[in-house]
Amino acid sequence: MVDVSQHELVPEHTVLEEDELEEVLSEYDIDRTDLPKIKRNDPALPDEAEVGNVVKIVRDSRTTDQAVVYRLVVE
Amino acid sequence: MRNSTPKDIGSINFGLMEPEEYREMSATKIITADTYDDDGFPIDMGLMDPRLGVIDPGLECKTCGKHSGSCNGHFGHIELAAPVIHVGFTKLIRRLLRGTCRECSRLLLTEDEKAEFHGQIDEAQKLGRDLNDVTKAAIRQARKKDRCPHCGEIQYDIDHEKPTTYYEVQQVLTSEYSQRIAGAMQGGEDGERMSPDELAEETDIELSRINEILSGSFRPRESQRKAIEKALDIDLTEEDTNKLMPSDIRDWFEAIPDEDIEVLGIDPERSRPEWMILTVLPVPPVTARPSITLDNGQRSEDDLTHKLVDIIRINQRFMENREAGAPQLIIEDLWELLQYHVTTFMDNEISGTPPARHRSGRPLKTLSQRLKGKEGRFRGSLSGKRVNFSARTVISPDPTLSLNEVGVPDRVAKEMTQTMNVTERNLEKARRFVSNGPEGHPGANYVRRPDGRRLKVTEKNCEQLAEKVEPGWEVNRHLIDGDIVIFNRQPSLHRMSIMAHEVVVMPYKTFRLNTVVCPPYNADFDGDEMNMHALQNEEARAEARVLMRVQEQILSPRFGENIIGAIQDHISGTYLLTHNNPRFNETQALDLLRATRIDELPEPSGIDDEGEPFWTGYDVFSELLPDDLNLEFTGTVGEKVVIEDGQLLEGTIAEDEVGEFGGEIVDTITKIYGKTRARIFINEVASLAMRSIMHFGFSIGIDDETIPEEAQARIDETIDDAYDRVEELIEAYERGELESLPGRTIDETLEMKIMQTLSRARDNAGNIADEHFTSENPAVVMAESGARGSMLNLTQMAGCVGQQAVRGERINRGYENRTLSHYQENDLSAEAHGFVENSYTSGLTPREFFFHAMGGREGLVDTAVRTSKSGYLQRRLINALSELETQYDGTVRDTSDTIVQFEFGEDGTSPVKVSSGDENEIDVANIADRVLDSEFESEQEKQEFLGRRPRPTNLSEHADDRLSVESTEVSSDD
Repeated sequence: MVDVSQHELVPEHTVLEEDELEEVLSEYDIDRTDLPKIKRNDPALPDEAEVGNVVKIVRDSRTTDQAVVYRLVVE
Repeated sequence: MRNSTPKDIGSINFGLMEPEEYREMSATKIITADTYDDDGFPIDMGLMDPRLGVIDPGLECKTCGKHSGSCNGHFGHIELAAPVIHVGFTKLIRRLLRGTCRECSRLLLTEDEKAEFHGQIDEAQKLGRDLNDVTKAAIRQARKKDRCPHCGEIQYDIDHEKPTTYYEVQQVLTSEYSQRIAGAMQGGEDGERMSPDELAEETDIELSRINEILSGSFRPRESQRKAIEKALDIDLTEEDTNKLMPSDIRDWFEAIPDEDIEVLGIDPERSRPEWMILTVLPVPPVTARPSITLDNGQRSEDDLTHKLVDIIRINQRFMENREAGAPQLIIEDLWELLQYHVTTFMDNEISGTPPARHRSGRPLKTLSQRLKGKEGRFRGSLSGKRVNFSARTVISPDPTLSLNEVGVPDRVAKEMTQTMNVTERNLEKARRFVSNGPEGHPGANYVRRPDGRRLKVTEKNCEQLAEKVEPGWEVNRHLIDGDIVIFNRQPSLHRMSIMAHEVVVMPYKTFRLNTVVCPPYNADFDGDEMNMHALQNEEARAEARVLMRVQEQILSPRFGENIIGAIQDHISGTYLLTHNNPRFNETQALDLLRATRIDELPEPSGIDDEGEPFWTGYDVFSELLPDDLNLEFTGTVGEKVVIEDGQLLEGTIAEDEVGEFGGEIVDTITKIYGKTRARIFINEVASLAMRSIMHFGFSIGIDDETIPEEAQARIDETIDDAYDRVEELIEAYERGELESLPGRTIDETLEMKIMQTLSRARDNAGNIADEHFTSENPAVVMAESGARGSMLNLTQMAGCVGQQAVRGERINRGYENRTLSHYQENDLSAEAHGFVENSYTSGLTPREFFFHAMGGREGLVDTAVRTSKSGYLQRRLINALSELETQYDGTVRDTSDTIVQFEFGEDGTSPVKVSSGDENEIDVANIADRVLDSEFESEQEKQEFLGRRPRPTNLSEHADDRLSVESTEVSSDD
């Protein structure tokens, strides 16, 4: 099977630790359900990601070099 | 009068309404279907009961005492003789019938399942997902049960016959069961026979029972039936449908416990399912269905009133029949009729139901039709409405206007007004406006006295009225020069389609605008019309002036460069002015600059041979540039453009320099010197260019595209050459010697090679033609400068039009195996497939013309299809994105506060605030220098600020060494 997470076009997905998450949530003053979502069966997710976790995605951007996005794992 | 304080809407809840609530809010019960009596007075408890509100002016509302206009009307109600189903909820009713027990009305889910779906609903709510997905899944799960988990009752399937009939479908033992069993025991064509003994053994039923069943004297029980069915592989059931009357459904729903409907996403506090079955029908106030008095004095009632009349009539007949003890069949018919009328009262466009019609045969416009669709309440009355203070007329160009201005015809200016609050300071003016009356130009149409009374200014009373005007009055004066208005051209595809302009009142009938604002509006003057809106309050005028004025829109938010700039003749003009840097004498130079702010020529660029001073095109153009502008880039013509200290030193000014979409100089000036400076620059470039093109003269005629015979001969030769090569290719193909290109068939290869050969031939013809055009040729000037047209256009005019294509291929359609009847079948030659060897100047042959029309038609169809497709696509995209908003913390969120982007555009910057350019690198040092320069008055002050620290005092001797090193540095810097 091809592991898409190793593909150069797939940005890095890392599961966010609870304390880091707290920081992010307080920075934007939101609940975790206000974050964008990602499905658990998304092949880019690391294996240890569970429903309810938040992943941090660092991807290359045309406007900034790197853009950071957080997504809540659902379903 | 207006002392009610404005209120904020905190929240809105949607739910069902209880019958008792309908009765409570009702002003009166309606019992008669009549509207007015013979004297024309509304009948009490009739459909036009005066308690339902007033529509005739002068009358008083019997409920609230207000007059027509201030009374919103009041609902009445009809007590329905029998419950009917509300069409809007048929789907939900079906779902509830399928998901609940027919006996105990409880949800057909175990407690565990219920809890599970409860949790899912909570989660979906939190994640902002569609609750319907969960509730649908819950119903699906409940439907799987054939027995109620609570009372054990068998559940039947519910059939829904649209729109409002429900059946219970039961599988019951068919009356022909004995025949069917016997038939199966005989065995079909291939089946083996089975004796009663064997059957008894297989099914575990006593033999005597089997015989009784076979004789038809015993109906098998369900378990026995199933066993027989299994043994014989037959179906012994038939469908039996049992119609559910609305009253049955209502009883059924009444017994559903509150906690069960919560699982289905219904809030029992607000909505009980039995309320979906109507027992009381609210009657809309008369203000919602006003009757119209026709010219002949007859009253014509609204469609809704007609429908209500039908409902009341049937309702009454129903009651009478029931009291008279009419047979069940008649009652059921009337019930169905009542259901039909109530259904069409709410929605008259239900599939499967004939729409209720007016006497004339026109379908009635009932409640749902008032709301739905383009002309409905939402899209037609709330999202878009007709407005006052607007004007529409044809547009025409006026290069003398500033790009911020719009020429408004005087007759429009006299119709649109602005409210003027009269004070001591503008009293004189206000009186003058009023005394000019409604016909004289800066006049007035209305005045408003401090007591709120509005008076029309007429030719007769204007003089006297003018004297009465005092501070505190309001005067509705005509539009005058300098007023701000909003100007718009449809389709309004981007924000620059609506911009604010300053009024210049002019004679004649068209709106006039500067040609440089054509690109943002996508306007031309072939008959385009535009709309103007006069603003009606100070806040709107201020916002328009600050945010919407044309000069504020010079930079497009789409790509961050200027969208307004020189176009067409302006570009030809600046090109002529700066290409090869021509010389002008004093008169000429002054004439070029006469429409600009420049009223004094700079030092002459030099003295010519006759001893007269002259000014070069560069110097004239440089007069328009800011004094300290520095720029260097590769320009339109391909040569370098150099501007130093506001002086054009090198290069030709054309499209990439001052043009509409990203003209480098315009863009830079806008970003560095601001929008006001940019507006001045664009206006002046346009004026200078017009003067310049008039100085040089610029015209084009057929002779400008004609080439000498010798060149024509060479072109013919190249084309003949190409024909020969095509012929060779075809021969090679027919001999089977043509080698196919990778991934193509031989046929495709041939086509491709022919296309290549012919397009090369056209290019060669174009090159030959080009050799004979000088750089002064107007078509060449336009193509080179980017003003209009391309070299390809020129090639087609002078050299050869070339291959015509449909769907990117040579023309292959038409007759069987040939394109036109002029050719042999299967002719592969160039001319038989739409190669046009003539030029537009030399003229096309009839066959060429026909091929050309085929290619041309495709283009027309394409554009027509593209615009409609992309328009709809864009509408959907805009509707989907319209709720997204950038918040103050830089995130982009939708209305439920879900984050869409963590930083606007990932970099949090607006495209119009970012310096543009291919390298896209921000020149920080340059910006810093500029900021510093502007901050300090002299170089000395700047150096002081830049932290050449003042000499420290009271330091220990040990610091001496370091100090001395530093001080030498400072001094060397100075």
